[in-house]
Amino acid sequence: MRKIFMTVLLMLTLALTGCGGSDSAGGSGKLSVMLGSNVVSLDSAQATDLASFEVIADCIDGLMQLDSNGKAIPAIAESYDVSADGKTYTFHLRDAKWANGDPVTAEDFVFAWRRHCQMSQEYSYIMGDTVACVKNADAVIKGADPTTLGVSAPDAKTFVVELDAPVSFFPSLMVFPTFYPVNEKFYSSLAEGTYGTSPETFLANGAFTLASYIPGTANIQLKKNDTYWNAAAVSLDGFQYQVVSSSDNALTSFKNGTLNVVSIGGNQVEHVKQDAELAKSLKTFSSGNLNYLSFNQDPKNHHAGALANANLRLAISNAIDRESLVENFVMTGAKATYTAVPVDFAPNAKTGKYFAEDQKQFADVVSFNVSKAQDFLSKAKAELGKDSFDLNLIYSNDGDANTKIVQAIKSQVEENLPGVKVNLQPMPKAEYLSNVTSNSYDLALVGWAPDYNDPMTFLTLWTTSGCEIAEHWSNADYDKIISDCSTGSLAEDYDARWVAMYDAEKILLDNAVIAPLYTDANAVLISPNVEGIDFHVAGITRVLKNAKLK
Amino acid sequence: MKRYITKRILMSVLTLLAIIFVLFVLIRIMPGDPFPVERMSAEMILQKREELGLNKPILVQFVDYMSLLLSGSFGNGTSLYNGAPIKPILTACLINSFKIGVLSILFGTFVGLTIGIVAALNRGKFLDGVCTLVSILGVCIPSYVFMIFLQYFFSYKIPFFPYFFDPSNFLSSSIMPMLSLSLFAISTVARFTRNEMVEVMNSDYVKLAEAKGLYGFELIRRHVLRNALIPIVTVIAPLVVSLLTGAMVIEKIYGINGVGKLMVDAIAGQGVDYNYVLALSIVFSALYIGAMLVLDILYGIIDPRVRLTTKEG
Amino acid sequence: MYTPQKDDFEFITGRDISVDENFASQGYWKGVAVHFLRNRFAVTGLILVGVIIVFAVFAPIVSSYSYEQIISVTDSSGKELIAKSLSPQIEGSAQNLFSDRTFLFGTDDMGRDLWTRTWQGARVSLIIAFVAIFIDMLIGTSYGLISGFFGGSVDNVLQRLIEIIGSIPTLVIISILAIFMEKGIGLVIASLLITEWIGMSKIARAECLKIKEREYVLASRTLGAGSFHIIFKQILPNTIGPIITQVMFSIPVAIFTEAFLSFVGVGIVLPQCSIGSLIEAGFNNITILPYQILPPICVLAILMLGFNLIGDGFREALAPKLENM
Repeated sequence: MRKIFMTVLLMLTLALTGCGGSDSAGGSGKLSVMLGSNVVSLDSAQATDLASFEVIADCIDGLMQLDSNGKAIPAIAESYDVSADGKTYTFHLRDAKWANGDPVTAEDFVFAWRRHCQMSQEYSYIMGDTVACVKNADAVIKGADPTTLGVSAPDAKTFVVELDAPVSFFPSLMVFPTFYPVNEKFYSSLAEGTYGTSPETFLANGAFTLASYIPGTANIQLKKNDTYWNAAAVSLDGFQYQVVSSSDNALTSFKNGTLNVVSIGGNQVEHVKQDAELAKSLKTFSSGNLNYLSFNQDPKNHHAGALANANLRLAISNAIDRESLVENFVMTGAKATYTAVPVDFAPNAKTGKYFAEDQKQFADVVSFNVSKAQDFLSKAKAELGKDSFDLNLIYSNDGDANTKIVQAIKSQVEENLPGVKVNLQPMPKAEYLSNVTSNSYDLALVGWAPDYNDPMTFLTLWTTSGCEIAEHWSNADYDKIISDCSTGSLAEDYDARWVAMYDAEKILLDNAVIAPLYTDANAVLISPNVEGIDFHVAGITRVLKNAKLK
Repeated sequence: MKRYITKRILMSVLTLLAIIFVLFVLIRIMPGDPFPVERMSAEMILQKREELGLNKPILVQFVDYMSLLLSGSFGNGTSLYNGAPIKPILTACLINSFKIGVLSILFGTFVGLTIGIVAALNRGKFLDGVCTLVSILGVCIPSYVFMIFLQYFFSYKIPFFPYFFDPSNFLSSSIMPMLSLSLFAISTVARFTRNEMVEVMNSDYVKLAEAKGLYGFELIRRHVLRNALIPIVTVIAPLVVSLLTGAMVIEKIYGINGVGKLMVDAIAGQGVDYNYVLALSIVFSALYIGAMLVLDILYGIIDPRVRLTTKEG
Repeated sequence: MYTPQKDDFEFITGRDISVDENFASQGYWKGVAVHFLRNRFAVTGLILVGVIIVFAVFAPIVSSYSYEQIISVTDSSGKELIAKSLSPQIEGSAQNLFSDRTFLFGTDDMGRDLWTRTWQGARVSLIIAFVAIFIDMLIGTSYGLISGFFGGSVDNVLQRLIEIIGSIPTLVIISILAIFMEKGIGLVIASLLITEWIGMSKIARAECLKIKEREYVLASRTLGAGSFHIIFKQILPNTIGPIITQVMFSIPVAIFTEAFLSFVGVGIVLPQCSIGSLIEAGFNNITILPYQILPPICVLAILMLGFNLIGDGFREALAPKLENM
């Protein structure tokens, strides 16, 4: 019996390990970078998460790219012209090649943009009238003929976009993967749904190309793309991504030398700060990701209208000690935020000042002031004729920070507002998304990452027809300002638009539609021998094509 | 025996059909949409549901799905990985999980049986105590905690094994997950073997065999093991399935691209990918049913009493 | 012909039967208890589990902190300082603002007393495990015995049913249950009820198949005993050994499952805690704040050790013939 077992065990061990090669992937001298989550899709029309966007941007160049200061500079487009009314952009493409030798043409952009609208995936909205305002985009998303989309290719090297309204930040939008080209000939040679699921079914025109990738893998290998138009500027021969889910693993693998670039959590940051040698590698970047509490104001909600009362919402918003949240529980260098637009985000093109520079602007309605909060609460109690409120706070438990934040909020709100009870409801991301969009929540912890570097990426969330995280709040004045700013009368006047956006923010916060909490930060450990990695607040948050290994 | 096996296989196929139906219905009522909805308008969601055929009556959907399955495909995903065909992705994940799972099962069963037999033969002596301690420790520590310790000591403190799973270096990077996964199997099998062996060794027929002069290995092999193995098989069969399918936490920590991780991604990701959850559940069920089938047939082979009664009934 | 008269018969209970005083005076369960207590390992196990239970019941009550209380002080400048991530300290031993307090297990990264949380967690985990496994034992054993005893088509149908239920992944089950139930302890118990009885019934069935062909069962049947009498009076007592062993294995499984469910976000709802959720929380900081994960892991390990020793002791006490060897 034992003999048989031994033999079988031996044979199987041999059989199973026989296929393993001896070449070690993470050899010395190779850059290894941590990804915080799986890559969901390498198809630029379907990607929805930061990890996917980053890898796509490593491999594909769009019309524009960001320089190390976050300014949009030409990439595939050598230059562009804007018509006088700001509604027509003409991009002149440079001589760039796909990895298979085909030239990158304007037709590739036309094909990709039409396809992205036609597929009407989550990020198609960015083509539409709230953001890029590409002509007819909304109609195509709803099923109209894709050839009516306002894009054309008069010749192979000229790409023309017509807009419904002048969009001041249009060139910087071109950095976003939804606007990247797709090689039509290559795409149509593949079986349906297989584009971007393996190195063979993915075509790069950017700095790197896939060396090894299968969907869901924890280890992605990239190699330098020699046909890249700017290949001379790319110093790395290749690098690898490793998906790491625990902060502790991230820290240990960094200390160990397995990974060169990792993101760590708050407890790890505290630990690193105590170690002088390690602390030199620590860098903190503001991420432009706003975390806020969303109040569901639908009177039909199961707490029948309690949160439809503005005073109750104000009471909760003023009962939260945001400084304590970031200092004690987030600890990654995140900043307490008292505005609806995150700090260190959306600089004014003329003055260079960030939109939310003045955090005290709305201090009368958003602050930490227990006595004021209690005043609001007693007003709410009187108006509603109720003495106690039992509220469900839902959150997605995919991050360690979320779990701590909601517990701290529960503790602070219950301590400062007698009679208010907060029940925590953790759930997986998918369930959370369906709950916030289907009206089954009272309070929700929302983390919103900006898609482009303009306050509008946040302010459009709260319009009546806006994002599907519906607070069920509707305000005609607010809606009017937002639509004026995007496609209406204010779109052409930069300064007036800027001022109007503050007015909109004031309406929003006076009504306490949301309670802003803090702006996230990325705490990153970077090996001393690595330089040239750029971090940005919107769209592609980390760019590796200029990275160097010393 | 042949008739019994044929009948048993037929039954299993029918059960699998029933399972697919139950799963199909259950997964359709799971909370969460099959696509990320943060930035999609209600209109777009309706349009998507239409495209995916989610508005059809559930029976029609089921028939469609069955014809898909019969054509040897699991269809395409709904939110994960571009809606790419599921089969190749699933296969890749299955292979990874299987390699490590099979290694752990073989290692775990082998070590577990050895420990159990040694303990039973030395009942009450020092060796028995050692074996019992080892086997109890295995149930005391969650496998992922053991994995973390291994990772800390043998990849960080002493960099002997790779810190993360490396498919191109399978042998050295599969040893730590295999050890931690087999921990539970070792202790379960060892404890069960020991208890069963002790019971059988005290039974009258073994005493009779001893009285007749049988001793040593021959006695153990012919009389003890055969009788003690029946309940042990019932423990191993579900273990096989759970080890092949259930190493989610370890796969996550060590970065193994396996089915456990795929399942979590499909349920807890940006959207609930119905088709992945369904495909994975069907594969798990098929495995489970396959294991039960093998178990029942083995039962018939090991213990003739089972075969006889089943035939009568 | 003689017709039996009434006084030909008398009630047997009233008669003084001569009973062997040495053996029969001892009841079955009393014998089990005696055997059990004679076993050093079993008693150790009993003490270990007993100590944990006593702490789990009383420590959260006696403690000066509540398990969800975030401990803080206000310093001279009016700033609130939170006692987060303090390693274990007793009054006066540490140089920090909380030096006048005692945290035997330290505090967690939310500034809560881990001593209180560990015992609160043990309490929750024990409740979940006991309730779930007790009900699972009842369901699983009856199911397995009935299935094994009747065999044939009954067995066939029941086993197919098990296969159907057993094949639904726990994650799917709990996601669907979560539509109908509030998240928390109840939901975890409910999902354990659906998944964990299957193992128990397999063991019961296997034992039943082994026992039902034995002579005494045949004898009982010949004497006209009904099926259910045979199952529950003749077979059940003889399957208790393996079932108890299975129960002892099921308790860690129940606790681990709970931990896994918390991990995916469908388990215990914070700030309530369980051993599983504490391990989960400590796990994220295991190399930098190791003292946070040690208490729950130790409690878990002691519980498992204790249950295993008790299980072994109980098993041997139920089948005392083993001890004579």
